[in-house]
Amino acid sequence: MTSLNFKPRVPVFDANVRVGHRHDELSACADRATLLAEMDRCGVARAVIYHAQTDEISPIDGNHALETWLAADGRLVPQWSIMPTPASLAQVQALHQQGRVTSVRLHNTWLAGLPFRPWAYAELLTWLSEQQIPLWIPLPDLDADALVSTLQAFPNLVTVCVGAHYTHHLLLRPLLRGVPNAYLELSRYEPIGEIEALRDEFGARRLVYGSWYARYAMGPMLFYLHHTNLSETELALVCAGNLERILGGVTQ
Amino acid sequence: MIEGTEVIDFHGHVGRWDRYGMNDDPALLLHAMDAAGIDLSCVFHIFHPDGTTGNDLTARFVAQHPDRFIGFVYVSPLMPARMLPELARAIDELGFPAIKLYPPYTPWPLSEPQWFPIYEFANARGLTVLFHTGPEPQSYPKLVGEIAPRYPHANFVIGHAGNTPVERAQAIAAAQANPNVYLETCSTFRTPGVIEQLVNEAGADRVIFGSDLPLMDPRPQLGKIITADISEDAKRLIIGDNARRLLKL
Repeated sequence: MTSLNFKPRVPVFDANVRVGHRHDELSACADRATLLAEMDRCGVARAVIYHAQTDEISPIDGNHALETWLAADGRLVPQWSIMPTPASLAQVQALHQQGRVTSVRLHNTWLAGLPFRPWAYAELLTWLSEQQIPLWIPLPDLDADALVSTLQAFPNLVTVCVGAHYTHHLLLRPLLRGVPNAYLELSRYEPIGEIEALRDEFGARRLVYGSWYARYAMGPMLFYLHHTNLSETELALVCAGNLERILGGVTQ
Repeated sequence: MIEGTEVIDFHGHVGRWDRYGMNDDPALLLHAMDAAGIDLSCVFHIFHPDGTTGNDLTARFVAQHPDRFIGFVYVSPLMPARMLPELARAIDELGFPAIKLYPPYTPWPLSEPQWFPIYEFANARGLTVLFHTGPEPQSYPKLVGEIAPRYPHANFVIGHAGNTPVERAQAIAAAQANPNVYLETCSTFRTPGVIEQLVNEAGADRVIFGSDLPLMDPRPQLGKIITADISEDAKRLIIGDNARRLLKL
């Protein structure tokens, strides 16, 4: 039964939240209090967050900026951005030595001429695989052939593909079939009936709720997930359980 | 039906667009509509410039579930001689209550004379015209604001409410300036605060829920309205009451 007022009925852990302002775009999510208020309004208990400065400018500076968003309550779980340079790798490895890395996010280097190929990414992807650190990969603009063939070369690497749009429709099934350790984050994926169809084909364990707030509103995909024929067990997995498993149960 | 309000989706398609997963299998549409409480969806076929081919497909689609779908007529100035006869046929014989136009499929901005016969037809009949709008020069929402005062007996719905920020501002300005301009909500750009902005700046009585089904699932698009920080009265207007008024249901 649909209501004019929606709240999720299972615990929610958002896999994809961008915080802070971009260089070219102000965010609705300018500070920690604003984010927590929106999470409370939408019924989201916890969120994996990364800083907007890491999108286009600097993963290293953006990771520094992320620190001000964190607190001991553990509601906001940091996601550090990374690229295949010695400085970036050293920053994340130092954080890892402190026990503060549960996931990392790929910074777009192919815009600057370095493709997502094994010859360019082997050191980074090998280290992530060895350390069992999952990698979030934004799908927009990434070459599909580079994505699938590179991930197939690192079969132990766990990845979460974020931001799939209806324009990625033809890619997703070969990707999920060809890369068994890839999960699909759902923030933008709206072709009709596709969440239920992907559940039928690949299982609910491959799907992860994320909002990509503050780029997108936090509530609509949660509303969608709660109005599918997913079982309560499947809904709980997609809204939080799968993410908790991917992060290894560690929150900070 | 949601808490006593009949829910009407004002923006939907007939046809397939396979590369993007768009599939007009009625069972898919009805499953999504039923799961979300959507009673009626307005649909149109925009892939045939003659109008007739797509309108007949729309009519056949609607006839399978006439209690759940409403057809809109599509015509294109790419085939100008066919526009008025096809409008008359689809309205009078197929029973379609409104018109859908897609300016990016033509070279002409929607304020160019090639479109005027359609507006004159709508004005004479008191019909509603739904436009695709967005950042394409043919589809700027500000152009709707230019034509709307010339056709006061027609209503004009700005599809996607402009879609992106600059065009959204144009759309709101057009609605503020013209009592016969409305803003429709479907978009993959689900920016936080957009529904609140439309309601606060144009008024809830001027905002209409649409989803773009089956290109997009209607559930997250309805979720944009339900999870927006607006009043229940505003939600009722947006999800159904405004559309009922425009469609004279």
